[in-house]
Amino acid sequence: MSGGPLIVQSDKTLLLEIEHPDSQACRLAIAPFAELERSPEHVHTYRLTPLGLWNARAAGHDAEGVVNALITYSRYPVPHALLVDVAETMDRYGRLQLINDPAHGLVLRAVDRVVLIEVAKSKKLAGMLGTKLDDDTIAVHPSERGRLKQALLKLGWPAEDLAGYVNGEAHPIELAEAGGDGGKPWTLRSYQREAVEAFWAGGSGVVVLPCGAGKTLVGAAAMAEAKATTLILVTNTVAGRQWKRELVARTSLTEAEIGEYSGERKEIRPVTIATYQVLTSRRGGAFTHLDLFGARDWGLVVYDEVHLLPAPIFRFTADLQARRRLGLTATLVREDGREGDVFSLIGPKRYDAPWKDIEQQGWIAPARCTEVRVTLTEAERMAYATAEAEERYRMAATTRTKLPVVKALLDRHPGEQTLVIGGYIDQLHQLGEYLDAPIVQGSTTNRERERLFDAFRSGELRTLVISKVGNFSIDLPEAAVAVQVSGTFGSRQEEAQRLGRVLRPKADGRQAHFYTVVSRDTIDTEYAAHRQRFLAEQGYAYTIVDADDVLGPSLPSVD
Amino acid sequence: MTNSLADHLRALPDQALAALLQQRPDLVVPVPTDLAALAIRAQSRVSVARVLDSLDRFTLQVLDAARLTRDAAADTTSLDVILAMAAANARPPDPAAVREAVRLLRSRLLLYGPDEHLHVIGGIDEISPYPAGLGRPAAELDSRAAALCADPAKLRRTLLSAPPSARAILDRLAAGPPVGSVPPGALQAPPLGAEDVLPPDPTNGGPPTGSPVRWLVDHRLLVSVTTGGGGRPGTVELPREVGLLLRRDTGTLGPMPTDPPQVAAPPREPKAVDSAGAGQTMEVVRQAEALLEQLAAEPASVLRSGGLGVRDLRRLARALGLDEPTAALLLETAHAAGLTGELEAPGIAAPRAGAEQQVLPSAGYEAWRAGSLAQRWEQLARAWLTMTRQPGLVGKRDDRDRPITVLSPEAERAGAPIGRQTALGVLADLEPATAPTPDEVLELLDWRAPRRSRGREAAHREVLTEAATLGVTGLGALTSYGRLLLAATAGEQRDADDPLGLHADGEPSTAVRALDGLLPAPVDHFLVQADLTVVVPGPADPPLAAELDVVAEHESAGGASVHRVTPASVRRALDAGYSADDLHGLFARRSRTPVPQGLTYLVDDVARRHGGLRVGATGAYLRSDDEALLGEVLADRRLEVLALRRLAPTVLVTPGPVNRMLATLREAGYAPVPEDTTGAAVLTRPRTRRAPARSPGTAARIVDPATAPRLPMPRLLGMVEQIRRGDAATRAAQRAPASLRGQEGAGTAHRHTDALAVLQQAVRDKALVWVGYVDAHGATASRLVRPVSIGAGYLRAEDERTEMLHTFALHRVAAAVLAD
Repeated sequence: MSGGPLIVQSDKTLLLEIEHPDSQACRLAIAPFAELERSPEHVHTYRLTPLGLWNARAAGHDAEGVVNALITYSRYPVPHALLVDVAETMDRYGRLQLINDPAHGLVLRAVDRVVLIEVAKSKKLAGMLGTKLDDDTIAVHPSERGRLKQALLKLGWPAEDLAGYVNGEAHPIELAEAGGDGGKPWTLRSYQREAVEAFWAGGSGVVVLPCGAGKTLVGAAAMAEAKATTLILVTNTVAGRQWKRELVARTSLTEAEIGEYSGERKEIRPVTIATYQVLTSRRGGAFTHLDLFGARDWGLVVYDEVHLLPAPIFRFTADLQARRRLGLTATLVREDGREGDVFSLIGPKRYDAPWKDIEQQGWIAPARCTEVRVTLTEAERMAYATAEAEERYRMAATTRTKLPVVKALLDRHPGEQTLVIGGYIDQLHQLGEYLDAPIVQGSTTNRERERLFDAFRSGELRTLVISKVGNFSIDLPEAAVAVQVSGTFGSRQEEAQRLGRVLRPKADGRQAHFYTVVSRDTIDTEYAAHRQRFLAEQGYAYTIVDADDVLGPSLPSVD
Repeated sequence: MTNSLADHLRALPDQALAALLQQRPDLVVPVPTDLAALAIRAQSRVSVARVLDSLDRFTLQVLDAARLTRDAAADTTSLDVILAMAAANARPPDPAAVREAVRLLRSRLLLYGPDEHLHVIGGIDEISPYPAGLGRPAAELDSRAAALCADPAKLRRTLLSAPPSARAILDRLAAGPPVGSVPPGALQAPPLGAEDVLPPDPTNGGPPTGSPVRWLVDHRLLVSVTTGGGGRPGTVELPREVGLLLRRDTGTLGPMPTDPPQVAAPPREPKAVDSAGAGQTMEVVRQAEALLEQLAAEPASVLRSGGLGVRDLRRLARALGLDEPTAALLLETAHAAGLTGELEAPGIAAPRAGAEQQVLPSAGYEAWRAGSLAQRWEQLARAWLTMTRQPGLVGKRDDRDRPITVLSPEAERAGAPIGRQTALGVLADLEPATAPTPDEVLELLDWRAPRRSRGREAAHREVLTEAATLGVTGLGALTSYGRLLLAATAGEQRDADDPLGLHADGEPSTAVRALDGLLPAPVDHFLVQADLTVVVPGPADPPLAAELDVVAEHESAGGASVHRVTPASVRRALDAGYSADDLHGLFARRSRTPVPQGLTYLVDDVARRHGGLRVGATGAYLRSDDEALLGEVLADRRLEVLALRRLAPTVLVTPGPVNRMLATLREAGYAPVPEDTTGAAVLTRPRTRRAPARSPGTAARIVDPATAPRLPMPRLLGMVEQIRRGDAATRAAQRAPASLRGQEGAGTAHRHTDALAVLQQAVRDKALVWVGYVDAHGATASRLVRPVSIGAGYLRAEDERTEMLHTFALHRVAAAVLAD
């Protein structure tokens, strides 16, 4: 018995004990092939999946090494059957290869002829394979490359894609680390550098970094690596403008080289930033803006907030397999469970860092998460108890009792930049009035949004009430306190993204606070528990306090 | 020859004789009466076959050499001749090895006599008629073939002139066995005139041969042993001389390796082997337990033909996340270990013969579960090693093409334990931690005991797979504890002869102790995390496991176990009698890490609401808006019998029935009103007893005969005809002769004979006859008929009145009288 930090479970999860002296070495050893599933404070959970093992094979790790890492670090004997299974799974990778044949273009070539015969017979591949060139080779139409890879993955015979990437139209892009335009000199952080290297080595893939950890810079560095025309897909216009600002400041690109392709403007330039919304907008049932993908010979496609990628984009992405693709996200949890599609179409997860690790390195602000439980008044309880099932969450989440609690919380942090985030517009209006703060919501114009955000950044505005539009991609570095009053039911990634709003490192390194106000003994509490799961798995421990403690000794009178 | 063997035995010193008996213990069961009897027994088919089974390939080859070199006249051979034959091999073996093999064969009494006159024991030729796969000498087969073989030059010429397809057949037969069957008719000459249209030789277009076998037989290279006419295949044999000529290049005996084949792969790290095996033992014990728990939750029904249905097996396999062969192996092993048993299905007894049987964990399961991990594994592995079952057969089809199901009698194989012992014995004899591939193991088996292993390759492969599944082997090599267990079970089979059972019991075996050292020690603590998961970093101590089973949901198992605390699991714990404080105490006591606040809140939240609603059963309630009145009722001593309890200020309950409460209250002078489930008052009036309603017995209408409806004419006519026919029948019956009616009386047999004569006459005359007969109910009746025929015990006759043909059983006919 080696007494290592790792415990291998028969359901192929790996438990890594953090306090063990070898845990860091073990983490490095297993990271290439095991996926980090949960990282709470004591024991991190990794999982061995076929996908992860194949990715490891693609990255040059062999089964012997994987088995060796498991045996070396395992505390207890590893079941023989599991080791055999790992070896057999990894052995399935690369029996088929996608290569560029000089004469026939893209072909599927078999290293193991039997496998090719087996998959060629599969109904799932019908229509994707072309003519049979010889016993070991079948022609593939280039447009089917993505779909074929996806289908082969589902059949359990992942193809090794050796067909390479097109370089796209070259365009000089450099990182301006010296701090051009009068900015301060800066360098890429170590984990950003690692992420870019991991991405570039793999060609395509997803980089997972916490909110506020500088994903934009990873994108910029990837562009500098590609030195080619780039298409950047973002969630909304404001996020697009932030990208533009950041690119102008951190790279050699100038404003004139960056185009915006949104509902308002349709510019196509060497670097083009488009919103998901405009790409998926339809007229008469047809996607009218798809030409953008073919407008230039793009060398790199960047998907910001890839966990929000809308379903139609998946379909377009399948056609883009010859181009390098970079997905960026903080929370690769999709409530629709399509993580697998993200991996197979954009690429495997190339880099993942636990939030707490980045926090320890000081790149994101340390945050305290607090759940404040308010007790409903008798009248509210009665109204809740008799409400229709579909109205219950709304009722519990938007109860008026929360208002004084929010105010009391804000009063705890005088002088801090504060965001109040909610899901229900009526409630936000109430809050706006109660707190005397402006509201940013879906109907707010882009100009007005920019103005309010600028005022908030400069410190003129202390408190901002924002709706769901603030969930993503708004860069408000000085926000240090966030109060969440309601959300989209039990959405885990929404919770994480909202926490992300306050995680940008503060100038003086002070702590961020994230409060979520929840009605006790209602469905609100249940959803809150579900929402917190992702962050709890990332090691954020919520403290629970009673609203009465927040409000202080004297009970406020509510209406 | 028997005499000479007996003489040889007689001449042996006592020591040598004892050594022989030690080598062949079956010769003394029972002890033979004299040496002649011993000699006969030593040459018996069974005994010789048993010795041959235990020999390795090289020794058998040397024995073949001895048989082939026998002098035809004296029927003896000599060591020198054997050595010469071995030396003539393409790669001659070491003469010392050959000598050693001869010594071994002698010690087993397969060869005897001095070196110059070695006898081969009788009985061998019966068991394997073709030494080294060569046929009988031509002289024994056919005189013409013998003539050909006597002329080597001609034989060689004939051989060279053989067409390619014929040569292919010769090569096949030369490799042995030297006998082949030929399709019926292949040896017959083609029909006259068809010789010219023979197709060319199929292999490379040589000259037409017709049937290549016929060519060979015609040219005396093959001898037809049985001609095989009448549609049955015939057999042909290759004479020994021809076979030897064909084997010229390889040597008579083929390759003769003196040593077992080597294992290519270098030995693995013994620690790694043990570790992988130990990991597997934990896994298999856990899987077995999960399987049995699954069976306990939902027992599987035994099919009428024995065994469990395919669907049950599939269900169990799916529930455990195993493949079906593994699930079958676990089921068979657990059954052999006495962990499962059959019981009649509960509930109403099936109307069919015998109640349905179910397989579910037996009482032994509880004892097993209480044991340590190593002990539990040993019980399973020992059962597997010694069980006379072959789980690999499950899912295959038997001779009658019916699927073999798990636990069914069809998977019973008496030779299974020996097969396991042999296959694992190969691993045990190698260097520790050597991991041969399955093919190498089979090769080794084939060298060590070719007669025993041929044809059992599939079973041996299954043994290796199963051993890996059970953790007896790890990384393909035998584990240290597996070796100990194997030795122990081999010993056990010897101990079985010892009826006194002197070996110490209850003490853990060496294998258990060895395995214990490899397995992690149970832990009695866990780590609680903010995401409400509870991780037990090792195998949980049974009390801890029991606690966690109640308070948390199981999430992942293996070396450690992961549980999650959920509101439902906390509620379950509260239901099971834990209080919130108990739970806090449990987590605080067992957890090595500080208990997260979320967990504390969760427990408190659930506990606060737990029991907020109370459910109970009661016989009747008493409610009133007047609290004072209820107070009075509660205080009333006359109502003590009702055992009233105050549920709420306005509600009292009693366990008794409503009627009693009503009666008692009324007796005491209160005026209660009963109410129904909807709260409405139920009014009661005293009811008089009445018998159940019945319909009046008389007809509903009075019918006046005078006003009866008239019957229609056709119906009346029909009635008339019916009446007439009845009348005619009665009259006819009256006219039946008296001799017919008064049948009862003596001489029945005599009358029966008469009746037959009368009937036969009547058939000829086509006359009307009165037939008296006994019908199926034993009543006598008579009928006027015209017989048509008599035959096969039946009389067929026509009834003129009804114009129907009747059939009478002759034995029923009691009398027959010609009608006048």
